[in-house]
Amino acid sequence: MGQRIALSWLQLKHEKMKLFAAVMGVMVSVVLMWMQLGLMKALFASAVVFHGSLDGELIVIHSQYEHLLHCKQFSSRLLYRLRGSSDVMDLFSIYLAPVEWKNPWNGEMRSMQCYGVETQTPSLTLPGFEEQMHHLRRTDAFLYDRLGRPRFGEVAGANALEQIIEPEINRRRMTLAGIIDLGASFGIDGNIVVSHANFLRLFSERNSGEIDIGVVKLRPGVSVPQVQQQFQALLGKEVSVLTREQFKDVELAYWQSATPIGIIFSAGTVVGFFIGFIVVYQILYTDVTNHLPHYATMKAMGFSGRYLNRLVFEQSVLLATLGFIPGTLVAAALYAGLRRVTQLPLSIEPGRGLALAVITVAMCVFSGMLAVRKLKSADPADVF
Amino acid sequence: MQDDDSQPVISGTGVNFAFGQGELRRQILFDVKIDVQPGEIVLLTGPSGSGKTTLLTLIAGLRSMQEGTLNVLGYSLHRASDSDLLDLRRKIGFIFQAHNLLPCLTALQNVQIMFDLQPDVSQKEGRDRAKEMLTQVGLGQRLDYHVSRLSGGQKQRVAIARALVGCPQLVLADEPTAALDGASGREVVNLLQGLARRENRPILMVTHDARVLDIADRIIEMQDGRLSMEPSARTGEALFGAGRPFAEGSLR
Ligand SMILES: Nc1ncnc2c1ncn2[C@@H]1O[C@H](COP(=O)(O)OP(=O)(O)OP(=O)(O)O)[C@@H](O)[C@H]1O
Ligand SMILES: [Mg+2]
Repeated sequence: MGQRIALSWLQLKHEKMKLFAAVMGVMVSVVLMWMQLGLMKALFASAVVFHGSLDGELIVIHSQYEHLLHCKQFSSRLLYRLRGSSDVMDLFSIYLAPVEWKNPWNGEMRSMQCYGVETQTPSLTLPGFEEQMHHLRRTDAFLYDRLGRPRFGEVAGANALEQIIEPEINRRRMTLAGIIDLGASFGIDGNIVVSHANFLRLFSERNSGEIDIGVVKLRPGVSVPQVQQQFQALLGKEVSVLTREQFKDVELAYWQSATPIGIIFSAGTVVGFFIGFIVVYQILYTDVTNHLPHYATMKAMGFSGRYLNRLVFEQSVLLATLGFIPGTLVAAALYAGLRRVTQLPLSIEPGRGLALAVITVAMCVFSGMLAVRKLKSADPADVF
Repeated sequence: MQDDDSQPVISGTGVNFAFGQGELRRQILFDVKIDVQPGEIVLLTGPSGSGKTTLLTLIAGLRSMQEGTLNVLGYSLHRASDSDLLDLRRKIGFIFQAHNLLPCLTALQNVQIMFDLQPDVSQKEGRDRAKEMLTQVGLGQRLDYHVSRLSGGQKQRVAIARALVGCPQLVLADEPTAALDGASGREVVNLLQGLARRENRPILMVTHDARVLDIADRIIEMQDGRLSMEPSARTGEALFGAGRPFAEGSLR
């Protein structure tokens, strides 16, 4: 039985306040889900921006590596053993450690992450890094992460490079040589990048032969899994040879287990879902209840249960659609605002949008299905 | 409807019906025998609580039969399947005491929606027929009024249009005038009678309204669940024949 009068829509539209309340409910629910999922994704993504920027197919780390703030060194001689392999195009070593940063404006001491990198060939694919890398060869030069938290001072202001900014880092006067984009993350409020030589100047106790991360750039066309296995066997148990994705996974696994973020945001998403669910259920349920005499009449006149079920089903899909679209627009606006304030990599991704659309429709249809059970109490024998 | 004048539209014998079980069981209908012939207008009267509505719901296939035989429009209602009952109901035009029009729809939409039950009727044809029907009940100027803007009599006229627009083979009405004042009640009944006569549609109508008895071909009375001996069909015509002549010519 086709429905040629748009009864589902006309009925929703008939009571404007109720329609408004239902759409608002779905909208709030959609915004909440976007925010929760988006923040969770962004927080985790921010923890592996550095990992993703390493310019090599394989990464060598100490086998007891936990996360960027808890990094064990291993001997660079291990890494340079790979030089002999014809599959290797380039090898880079990276030092990393937290430094004490003294805010040049107010003298406050803050901790930030410092990376010591090669300055002959770029080992990071961060935008602008390659162009600015040669500045790092100067004594005491550093690149500053402008996506770090603002507590370090106005280092990355618009005309930062025209002024001479010389903060004290680990009690050593350093010179700002350029700006990069990396971002804050768990336990890391800001980042600087220096050369190997300058790194060792900042950490006089560090031994130049002990590195934190080795990056292996393979020749094009080489089978990564095969080489990975081969290198792991060659280097032994002290280090792990990982692909870049595996390296990210190690980092993410740590933060997922060490922080309740996954649980908190998943719970938030579920709360969002239930808010929408309950509002839509309430609205559809009262609607069905109010219309029971009419539905009983329609049943008596020969309209099937399917026809009426479909009516409620269509209303739930309509509510889902009417709430999802503005909800997503609001989320996009909030994302933009938060991006500016927190520098978190938030974005409305089509794939996630599709998933949320499906969840929203499921939420509404599920409440519709519950509300529709009330239809059974519309007894056509009671109409006369 | 089928022009099969020999077959009764409704024929029932030995119909017993009770509500409740065991101790609470209360029999409402006792050995009811009823026949309605094609084209006949039959009125069912009787005191309140005598079982008129119950009989009507049985005939309409809205309640399951318990005992006796009842044939309506060729469907045997004893142990009829749900889908048969649904099919039967789609061939019946219903008029209830409460109009139960959908408040979110206009008069036209309330009538047009009946064609959702008839997929072979096109949208345009359904719309035209609904307009035509509303014009016949005198609401041609109110097609796009929402139900809330219509008077009680106008609402009941929309309900009549809704009941008749699908060309039902039988019209069942339960006190269609009860909620209306005398004048609009009369108007509604006249309309119903005129439309039924023109299409030769049988009507079974429950009513308490003494002012409308004259439209009947036949009046049957229910007392405590039993139908009184029916006056012969012709007596009704002799008594109230005045209501018929204008329709006679259009009888097919
Ligand atoms: N669903 C039900 N369950 C139990 N008893 C019922 C039910 N419906 C009706 N009855 C009883 O059956 C009897 C007959 O009711 P019915 O509605 O058929 O009477 P009626 O002749 O239509 O009366 P009225 O003129 O007041 O409409 C009444 O005593 C009523 O209380
Ligand atoms: Mg009754």
